[in-house]
Amino acid sequence: MKKWITLAAVAATVAGSALPAVSQEAAEAPPINEFPREETLIINNPEQPATNPGMFNMWVAGNGAAWSNGLHQLSLDTLWFIDPDAGLDGALYNQLAAEPWEYNDDFTEMTVNLRDGIYWSDGEEFTADDVVFTVQTQIDTPGMVWSAPFSEYVESVEAVDEHTVHFTLSKANSRFHSLFSVRWNAAWIMPEHVFSEVDDVLAYDFNPPVSLGPYVLNSYDPNGYWYIWEKREDWDRTAIAEWGEPAPQYVIYRSIPSTDNRLIEMANHDLDMIHDLTPEGMFSLVEQCDTCRGWFEGFPYAHPDPTLPMVIFNTQDERFDDRRVRWALALMLDARQISMASYRGAATLSAIAMPPTGTHPQDYHAPLQEWLTNYELDLGNGETITPYDPDVGLQVAEMVRPQFGESVPTDETAIRNAFGYGWWQQDIEAANTLLEQAGFTKQGNTWMTPDGEPFEFTLSTFTEGVINRMGTMVAQQWSQQGIQVTPEADPQIFAQTLPLGQFEVATAWSIETWGGNPDLSFFLDSWHSDYVAEPGERQPQRNWQRWENEELDQIIEDMRVTEFTDTEANIELGNRFIQLMVEEMPVIPVMSFNVFSAYDTLYWEGFPTAEENPYANIVTNWANSKYILTQLEPTGETAN
Amino acid sequence: MRAYLLFALKRLLQLTAVVFAGVSAAFFISRLSPISPVESIIGRVSGNSSFSPQAIESLRSTLNELFGLNIPLHEQYFNFLGRLIVGDLGPSLIAFPTPAMQLVMLALPWTVGLLTVSIIITWLLGNILGGLAGYYQNSRLLKAFGVLAIGVQPIPYYIVAFLMVIIFGFLWPVLPISGGFSMNVRPGWTPQFILSILHHSILPATSLVLVGMGTWFLGMRSLVSNIVTEDYVTYAEIAGVKEERIVGSYVIRNALVPQLTALAMALGGIFSGTIITEQVFSYPGLGTLLIRAVNGGDSTLVLAVSSVAVIAVASAIFVIDMIHPLLDPRVKVE
Repeated sequence: MKKWITLAAVAATVAGSALPAVSQEAAEAPPINEFPREETLIINNPEQPATNPGMFNMWVAGNGAAWSNGLHQLSLDTLWFIDPDAGLDGALYNQLAAEPWEYNDDFTEMTVNLRDGIYWSDGEEFTADDVVFTVQTQIDTPGMVWSAPFSEYVESVEAVDEHTVHFTLSKANSRFHSLFSVRWNAAWIMPEHVFSEVDDVLAYDFNPPVSLGPYVLNSYDPNGYWYIWEKREDWDRTAIAEWGEPAPQYVIYRSIPSTDNRLIEMANHDLDMIHDLTPEGMFSLVEQCDTCRGWFEGFPYAHPDPTLPMVIFNTQDERFDDRRVRWALALMLDARQISMASYRGAATLSAIAMPPTGTHPQDYHAPLQEWLTNYELDLGNGETITPYDPDVGLQVAEMVRPQFGESVPTDETAIRNAFGYGWWQQDIEAANTLLEQAGFTKQGNTWMTPDGEPFEFTLSTFTEGVINRMGTMVAQQWSQQGIQVTPEADPQIFAQTLPLGQFEVATAWSIETWGGNPDLSFFLDSWHSDYVAEPGERQPQRNWQRWENEELDQIIEDMRVTEFTDTEANIELGNRFIQLMVEEMPVIPVMSFNVFSAYDTLYWEGFPTAEENPYANIVTNWANSKYILTQLEPTGETAN
Repeated sequence: MRAYLLFALKRLLQLTAVVFAGVSAAFFISRLSPISPVESIIGRVSGNSSFSPQAIESLRSTLNELFGLNIPLHEQYFNFLGRLIVGDLGPSLIAFPTPAMQLVMLALPWTVGLLTVSIIITWLLGNILGGLAGYYQNSRLLKAFGVLAIGVQPIPYYIVAFLMVIIFGFLWPVLPISGGFSMNVRPGWTPQFILSILHHSILPATSLVLVGMGTWFLGMRSLVSNIVTEDYVTYAEIAGVKEERIVGSYVIRNALVPQLTALAMALGGIFSGTIITEQVFSYPGLGTLLIRAVNGGDSTLVLAVSSVAVIAVASAIFVIDMIHPLLDPRVKVE
């Protein structure tokens, strides 16, 4: 009996150990001997391990293909890129297009001139036929990622010659080019010579992918944890050659779900770029690793994304349909405490409806300081206040200085760039006046609505992270003033809660911008009142607050007939929008979404930085992070 | 023999009923999820792009049609039962149109491999040491081990796992803390690949063994402590039977029957995966797949994982039921 058990146990143990080989046997990974560390850049892919690791057909919605595994950064390409930061030669890159788009006078036609001398990795030349095929195939095949927008806007598309594409649009659209302009991603060009041979485009795995970018797939983990890309021998026949040769011979994208493991891997120099850490993780990393740093060399380290975390009111709830109530709630908040609670002080605050990042501080935040400082808020009882405090960013810097010492900047401009400009000063008295003017009454320490009910509501927020911490602090501050607010962690906040309007107040965001360009079309067009859903119906993104305003509609309609490249006119529209948002306060803007991206300079140098050369977004899952590779240089350090 | 066959037939019918009830419950529970796979996909596709509201609506309607989510629930249920018989539960909704079972079969060997090894090691170590501790009650070493087992066993698993990551990944970085195998090894039936798998499984397996062993140890020690007071053990000792034979054949063997039943249950539970282990050590497996399916609202994939777990646990119980009468003559088949 004992022998039996021993035998069975040994057999099961041996078989169990080797079991994974069963599932991996079919994987078609080529043999790899080694990746010299000095030739290899290792990047953290923030996505979860791919659900469908062998799927590379990124044009199909929901097929489980990983996107940020290097596929859309290194292998795919499209017409233009708009960087959320400064860019190598301005934020607009003519990538596969030789020059910017050309519209006719009424924006019903667009012509694109393509670069010549660009080749797919299998030796086929990239031509206008690829662009036409990309658009036509997706129109003809519902269920592909860009099928719906192409079907909506494109009446016809034709290749005028090998390097010229002409679009005839079914309705005027001055921002049609944005479908081919990468902010995070965009409509990638399909290889016509590959997909035209495929029977079922929706089921095709495109494995291995034929590349239009400077790298080809070397191998991948059949479980989706890592993907290895190798530089093409003919990288100079890709569009990126315009900006230089990508330095790494190999680029490895690793999915590491645990924040702690990410931190340890970088501290051990097994990871060169991390997408995001917690604030505490970042502080710990720079202590443990001499060669590691963030976007800012010192505090607050993080890169501000062109996304604006905010308090969102459901304006279809009658309690929040009154701007006096929304303003009262804004004046009850202390931004300094929110910054400390959410980001441990490493937040970049913004009082206006514009992320304080990219070119926006120069275009909007700095020029509007005077207007904001002089802005008078009418309390409705004959009194006015000037609620803006232009120095809140400086105050937060002083709050963190005792802990973080020399890493906190001392120069005022540097502080404003890192911590933000000003914010609304907490003014409980003014907030109380506004609520009273709106018909609310205070009984003891409890505010009552005009209907005589206690003023209480739920604040929906993220399940974890900085937005969760921000929501909790906001709820706490309101509760301290006699409004019973319950924060609720909501895993479906973007998928269900906000679109269905199943919330009263939320902390999330409804504003995302290009970052490197003052044009606001990226989010603002969808705010038009034509798109506001009835209560209970699904609201198209991004106007989660379901706010309707005639003046806003006029701004959007003016924007629709303004050229994207008319910077002055777009800034003017942006200023009108910001000022209207201050007046009405349908959302309370709080800060940019700061991403604690980290990188290790042991093996590679030349990364973009906030203080010296902010030429690209450091965040690794954005497709435009590929430009970083052209600026890197090996330090000469080799692995032992 | 006839009685045994009848017993087997009864148990087989029970197995069928349990599986049917289990997978049916899994089907309806998985459909209760408030998460819509269509909305998850729309969020991913349009979240970072400037899609117009009309385009989003159009995409939503296409995906609903493509995924067959407009079919009434009872029709979906009968379709599911029909497909279950042939082992095809339909396409995953977060990896459409890849069959859900294909994704399960990709992840399953990792989970089964890791858990089989760690459960068997845990079981062997726990029972042998527990048996010895129950028999040699005055041994200081085994007493110390008992204290250690009692001390470690209540520590939450994730604390132990994180400690191991920090110790062996950072303070003394000698073991890999993430992944199933090295990036420079070609997958396949090669010694390099299998050694790489073993190397990467050391930390996750050890963490499971450390936390799991205490339960077996304490259970076995308790069982043996009772058995050593039985008359037949005393008689064997008086009769001069060799000590190792008494421990191995008279004491531990008799105490093993309930432990074997528990082992089968534990092995059956393997198919549910180890979510925390996989998350902490970035280790592939069913747990991660299940999390992704739940978060993505992929009811088909949730159902595929659940069905495999239900069938595995029910089958494990069935096998134990079949073996029990053969192992222990006291168990009647009638």
